[in-house]
Amino acid sequence: MSIDDIRNASDATLVVSIGRYHQEALAEAYRRHAGAVFALSRRLLVERALAEEVVQEVFLRLWHHPEKFDPDRGSLRSYLLAQTHGRAVDLLRSEVSRRAREQRDAAATAEGGYDLEHAVVDLAVAEEVRAALESLSPGERRAIELAYFGGHTYREVASLLDEPEGTVKSRIRTGLRRLRGALIDAGIGAP
Amino acid sequence: MSQTSHQDIQELLGAFALDAVDDDERDLVEAHLAGCPRCRAEVATHRETAALLAHGGDRAPEGIWARITENLEEAPPAIDLAPMSSLETARHRRSRRSISLRAAAAMGAVAAAVTAFFGWRIGVQDQRLDRVAAEFHELAAKDGLRRAATAALSAPDAEQVRLASFDGRTGVHVVRLPNGTGFAVADGLAALPADRTYQLWALREDAKISLGLLGRDPDVAPFQMVGPVLGFAITDEVAGGVKETGQSPVVLGFTELGQKGQDTRPTA
Repeated sequence: MSIDDIRNASDATLVVSIGRYHQEALAEAYRRHAGAVFALSRRLLVERALAEEVVQEVFLRLWHHPEKFDPDRGSLRSYLLAQTHGRAVDLLRSEVSRRAREQRDAAATAEGGYDLEHAVVDLAVAEEVRAALESLSPGERRAIELAYFGGHTYREVASLLDEPEGTVKSRIRTGLRRLRGALIDAGIGAP
Repeated sequence: MSQTSHQDIQELLGAFALDAVDDDERDLVEAHLAGCPRCRAEVATHRETAALLAHGGDRAPEGIWARITENLEEAPPAIDLAPMSSLETARHRRSRRSISLRAAAAMGAVAAAVTAFFGWRIGVQDQRLDRVAAEFHELAAKDGLRRAATAALSAPDAEQVRLASFDGRTGVHVVRLPNGTGFAVADGLAALPADRTYQLWALREDAKISLGLLGRDPDVAPFQMVGPVLGFAITDEVAGGVKETGQSPVVLGFTELGQKGQDTRPTA
């Protein structure tokens, strides 16, 4: 594949090419998605060095195990971001970075708790996504933001918001569904 | 939580997709997902939605790429993090390539090459290809591939080759896009015994290059192969495939380039 072919290739084709050990294909996947991967990992982990480590891990994993990506189950970007989220949350929950998290939570509390998460989300996401988020009930929105961007379990979210665990659990699910509906209505994401 | 109902699991899917469950719950959901396509689909959808939320990234960070390439097996390519190159450049390259293709077609060596199927040396890239061949076969069972292959078959710039058995009764379609992505639609081949597999080869003037294993009962298989090819062939091999084949092809077909070679072949 020439560089131009790679630039025009679909993500699925890139992954097949990565399976054939074409570094240019990995470079192109990196060019397309590493920005989002880094942004998510940075938002979760705050500490730049840790966030960079996650980016590195995620792309090395794609290089060594391209077969783990199944194009029938979603886009390459959502696959990479799910990997990123999982890894970042692992780090976040591990003993080593507990300290960093406490510091971050302290800072967040000082600046108004989850409102900080709100602010970050508002700055970061596209206008359509922001509008879709507005379609959620405040409870759903907080639960999703604290879980996804805060890296909290639903039990932790329940305790942070002082709400029953079962309520938070189902709010995350119904909120995600509603969000998807709103995004489809806004023309983002495939039905 | 010894007795967990399907509904209990379903309730957890949103939190699970956001990594917001405890370890024991995660294990529980994962075990369930292994056998439940509907819940797998729901998790995939939630992750797709979450990915849109995370869409905040702009440019790929440059410093990390250098560290990634240190861990790869070969020298890294230069990475250009700027947006797409211009169409002009793309066109330029394409036209240059088609000229070199014509030049290759004119060479006498090409004509001689198609006269024999046996005895060609195997391509160097082969070991790597075989390492991933099994994975591709797994993918080949999926609908997505068939759709991709169908789309490729209708692409105006795709190279299409029909491979036929010597009695002309079995047909396989091979289609290859200009970017080198190809598909073999091989569901017409009869199933082989459990210890055998079909293997797809690209025929070049000096080598047969393995494009991967198609399995014992093939459907649609993807492959990746750039550069001019004289034809494609499928052989019947021992399970696991071979580096070099001594088998007569089950089906065989020539590209336009290969046919040109045959036409100009001196008749013996």
